[in-house]
Amino acid sequence: MTRSSAPRPRTTTRAAVCTAAALAAALTACSAPGESADDTKASSGPIKVAVVNAQSGQLSSLGDWEYKGAKLAVDEWNKKGGIDGRKIQLKLFDDQGDPTTGTNLARRLVSEKYVAMIGTAESAVTIAMGPVLQQAKIPNITSGQSDGLVALKSPYLFLNGPTSTTYDSTLAQHLVKDKGYKKIAMITNNGSFGKGEHDAFLKAVKGLGVNPSTDQVVTTDQKEFSAALTKIRSTKPEVIFIGSEEVEAGLIVKQARDLGITAPFAGAAPQGTPVFIDTAGKAAAEGTIVSSPYLSNDVSDASKKFAAAYEAAYGKEAELHGAKAYDGANILLTALKTSNGAVGEELADAIRDTRYKGLLGDFQYDGTGVGITKTTIGVIRDGKLVPQQ
Amino acid sequence: MQETLQTLVGGLSLGAVYALVAMGFSLVYRTMGLVNFAHADIAMIGAYAASTFYLTSKLPFAVAMVVAIAVTAAIGLVIERVLRPLENKDFDLMLIGTIGFGIVLQAVAILIWGTTGRAVRSPVRSAPLDLFGVRVRTYDLLVMAVAALAVLGLAWFLARTKRGAAMQAVAMDHEAATAVGINVGRSNALAFSIGAGLAALAGGLVGPMLYVDASLGGALGIKGFAAAMLGGFGSIPGAVVGGLAIGVLDSYAAGHFQGYSVLVTFLVFTAAIMIRPMGVFGERTVSRA
Amino acid sequence: MKLSVKGPSATRAGGLAAIAVAAWLLPYGLGSYSIHVVNIAIIYALLAIGMGLAMGISGQINLAQVAFFGVGAYTLAILTTDSGYGFWAAAVIAVLATVATGLFVGIPALRMQSHYLGIVTLGLALGFINWITNASVTGGADGISGIPLPTLPGIDLSSEYLYYYLELVVCAFGLGFGLFVVRTSLGRRLRAMRDDSLAAGAMGAEIPLLRMTAFLLASLYGGLAGVLYAGLIRYVAPETFSIGNMFILLAMVIIGGRRSLVGCVVGAVGLTLIREWLSDFSTYAQLGYGVVVVLMVVFAPTGLAGIPSRVREFAHRRRRSHTEDRARLRPFQPYEAVETPDAADEPLLEIRSVTKDFRGLRALDDVSLTVRPGEIRGIVGPNGSGKTTLFNVISGFYRATSGQVRFGRRATTTARPYALSLLGVARTFQNLRLFGQLTVRENILVALDRTRTYTIWQYAVWQPGVVRRERQLRRQAQELLERFGLTDFAEAAPGSLPYGIQRRIEIARAMASRPRLLLLDEPAAGLNGEEVQQLARIVRSIRDSGTTVVLIEHNMGLVMSLCERVTVLSSGGVIAEGTPAEVVAAPEVIEAYLGDSAMADVPLPEPAPRQAPAGPTQASASAEASASAEAPASKEATR
Repeated sequence: MTRSSAPRPRTTTRAAVCTAAALAAALTACSAPGESADDTKASSGPIKVAVVNAQSGQLSSLGDWEYKGAKLAVDEWNKKGGIDGRKIQLKLFDDQGDPTTGTNLARRLVSEKYVAMIGTAESAVTIAMGPVLQQAKIPNITSGQSDGLVALKSPYLFLNGPTSTTYDSTLAQHLVKDKGYKKIAMITNNGSFGKGEHDAFLKAVKGLGVNPSTDQVVTTDQKEFSAALTKIRSTKPEVIFIGSEEVEAGLIVKQARDLGITAPFAGAAPQGTPVFIDTAGKAAAEGTIVSSPYLSNDVSDASKKFAAAYEAAYGKEAELHGAKAYDGANILLTALKTSNGAVGEELADAIRDTRYKGLLGDFQYDGTGVGITKTTIGVIRDGKLVPQQ
Repeated sequence: MQETLQTLVGGLSLGAVYALVAMGFSLVYRTMGLVNFAHADIAMIGAYAASTFYLTSKLPFAVAMVVAIAVTAAIGLVIERVLRPLENKDFDLMLIGTIGFGIVLQAVAILIWGTTGRAVRSPVRSAPLDLFGVRVRTYDLLVMAVAALAVLGLAWFLARTKRGAAMQAVAMDHEAATAVGINVGRSNALAFSIGAGLAALAGGLVGPMLYVDASLGGALGIKGFAAAMLGGFGSIPGAVVGGLAIGVLDSYAAGHFQGYSVLVTFLVFTAAIMIRPMGVFGERTVSRA
Repeated sequence: MKLSVKGPSATRAGGLAAIAVAAWLLPYGLGSYSIHVVNIAIIYALLAIGMGLAMGISGQINLAQVAFFGVGAYTLAILTTDSGYGFWAAAVIAVLATVATGLFVGIPALRMQSHYLGIVTLGLALGFINWITNASVTGGADGISGIPLPTLPGIDLSSEYLYYYLELVVCAFGLGFGLFVVRTSLGRRLRAMRDDSLAAGAMGAEIPLLRMTAFLLASLYGGLAGVLYAGLIRYVAPETFSIGNMFILLAMVIIGGRRSLVGCVVGAVGLTLIREWLSDFSTYAQLGYGVVVVLMVVFAPTGLAGIPSRVREFAHRRRRSHTEDRARLRPFQPYEAVETPDAADEPLLEIRSVTKDFRGLRALDDVSLTVRPGEIRGIVGPNGSGKTTLFNVISGFYRATSGQVRFGRRATTTARPYALSLLGVARTFQNLRLFGQLTVRENILVALDRTRTYTIWQYAVWQPGVVRRERQLRRQAQELLERFGLTDFAEAAPGSLPYGIQRRIEIARAMASRPRLLLLDEPAAGLNGEEVQQLARIVRSIRDSGTTVVLIEHNMGLVMSLCERVTVLSSGGVIAEGTPAEVVAAPEVIEAYLGDSAMADVPLPEPAPRQAPAGPTQASASAEASASAEAPASKEATR
């Protein structure tokens, strides 16, 4: 098997190298290198859990929130004495939002014998890491919501929230059925998240017999939306669906209001966050309809308790991503407890068997790794996300 | 028609910011012959500094801007001092040095201000103007006015003051400039810090339009650079024309090609610069061979 | 970097063998995570070699390397998952597609250089990222997963340990091929182009094709790296090919040493490992390598790879201060005289009513000039009279606004410098345009090499041909160095040598191309009296060997003694032509020089037709003064 693309210069230098290489090959031909597989279950010492998330780059704020949520859960468990007397050791890894770095980290987790992984917030990174973690049988509770995660069909991959499909079919249902909107405009970005939102929402509204009045796509680093928004304005929509991350969505809403668009916006989780409201401005964000499994810190006693603990630990207000990671970490730790610190396949099965009442709702995993399929509709009033009356 | 005009207005308002960025590039290039790749990251630091003084220290916006400009001008002095051994020797190497500084500034911003970034509220409260259905934000008008003032100020400085003339003399022939008694080191330091101050002006003004985080430099830099090239590197009016052109091109590309706008923008830019490498107002030839 | 194609010495072979064995045994000592990191590092090493070839060797600022990487990886991913190609067939197509992309991205290099090229390539890279994020064929932002495993009979490449060997072999061949290119004809031309593209063009290098070749090489390595990446990770997504990673790649090349391929590899492997080691502190790591890039640029511009030679140079300089006199310029050994052919009636160079305008400024005004074979023609005139402009028109640097230039029997008005060089026109430069980063021997070798760029196909399929030609060129270079008495300085950098020696190197380099016409632009500038005498002997011998000489000179003594005919230019027009004695007596000439006498550095010719002994001394002194003012300018020109 030769490759024509590999150039083969012939000089004495290379001859020397080749001879040496051949010699080394002969010496080592009998045994190929590799790591001896020892699947022994470490039943003493701390339980090693990794958080992998972007700590640098554009998605680093997401990564930061999630680490805080997961750490809060782990700290609470450790304060209660850990699992069967074993402490949980949580370590944060930075994937820099880069799939290559992600695959490096996946190997590192395997090699350093981590029991489970929490993260990442970016579906592309999680998808890249998936095969490695699956092969090494390390359960991964991700914060991604892309339907591509489900398509991976890994028995070791679990989502700590609903998929885009859930978010957007609930939203579409509300807009078309409850509100009776017929003219819906769409603006989404072409990133992993925006594309997922675009596809899920489009499918949902079409299923309800509504065709969007216009379907605008922007890029993830675009700053100026006059063209797209003027087109939207000319179709006079009753509501505008927005599929983009917090900051960009905020800019879009702000510029839309400046252009005289008065129709409310509707979207998924990012539109419920303080960053979105800050970027858009309180007045511009008013009336935005949000589909989210975690509307605010005041929805239940559990969420109030979580928000208070979060505030005490970090001096900051809790929000959805922290809550998701908190739930995900709790599910993992519960499964670890019920399985007496199992690892690998046993732990994955234990997660699948876990029933957990969390901040986002009642988790019960099916075969696809999705544990929750319900969101609620909220609306932004006075800069706060409140449940829809 | 209304859509076309509105797109034009949107493009012009962001174009004014690109113009400000390009002006700083061009000033440093014209007076030092240096291409400063860290320029946009200096703008990012300026945006953060301005927003910090405005939001946290509660200074009036204009005062916050002035303080931010002073801070970044000082940073400019430091960068110039570090790279001074390379001046007038190897500009390609200096260019790479400024890329290194860009990386450093981004890391510093994350260490100081964290990764989340911040939204800056607009200092101008009045509602957008409505001209026959085309909406124009008052803040954008302010930005354009400041950009226009900066152009006039710079043009006056370069053409009418001794310092400005001395700076340009240094760029043309630093040996001859030394011979006639110009302190080349000090002239370059001043040029670089004015460039950095202009970056802060652009960054500070863009804060309330966009969102301030460590990646802001990446968003402004490459397009600002492209703007400087389109207008003609080293030309101050060229920076304005190039900035507005890139802003409008960007805006229309986004309207017509949706997600593919970046690809279209840079292909058009490459074609334009291939046809006329010296840009609209360029005075220097690029490659004679 | 040592430049020798002779067999490596025993110690070097031993060292290489030791490195090879260590590389071969490395996986036995590594865990599964470490080997993965090493595998990534090798991929970056390949990318860095490509980057080094474009940036460090060829001087083309290429910030699209990461896009080449992406084209390779994505093409492979699409072909294997969508179109059902086998891995290796797809790999070949992927590399070809990357090379095609590289040639496309290289097109702007024909029109612009330096930072212009940098920003355009960066823009095109952004465009590529934008495209893969949008297009459905590339899977959009989610990327493409499920790339099949490459198969090799008997080797299970799903083991990263065995994949390491595949990468190692590709990288070793890649590095070997890269070094082979750098040290032979093609690489020498690329480096000459980097140091001074104008002079390289005048030596017969086809600059546009060489610039495309630089991009071809960069994309070849980018494509190989992309294929290996796709086979290793078996998933591609846009973020991997981001601008951030582009700048890290740039940092690798700068820190390792852009002019040394081994340095690029060291930088890539080193930075990948450090980046991984510091992955828990990525912001601090980012700060760290930003700082290191700045420090490297200021204190060690040649990178890690350049440090040993800088140390050696420093030590050498200290030692040389004691043994300074050992290296010396040896006497010129004259060429064997040949009979000038009888067809001397036919002019060799004919200029018909040439006019050259620069933005409303007329530099040449209706100049006509005929030079016969075997002549030594002098061109004199006050500063700014258009002498050098005339040379630039003859040698193809400028295109005449109107009029015609004929060389031999051809019209060469619009010919490019390289084409004129291949036809037999050679020149020297007023400001010395030697290739500063090449040794004296290499400077000569560049001009000796008369092959066209398309012969680089030999590098791809028939390397022994390259080696054979290289040996032949080196033999000729040795002869030429001996003839011009330069053997002691063969391995020196031209910039480190005295001015007089540099002047002689330029003439030797011009003669290396065996020209029919030699244009000398102020060859005596900056030379002392003894050196001027030597120059006169050299020029006569060159003429006697059958090469026609045209020289621009202010040193009237030299002109009077050397030239058969002299043409006088003033304000862009010919005001007199004839024997030296006739010309000096012509009233127009006297008037032109008197009118210009306000300019202190123009030597006044003696009005009397007899050769005044004071002439040369006076002239050379003033020429020296003007040369010393030019010296820094020439340094800048050759950087």
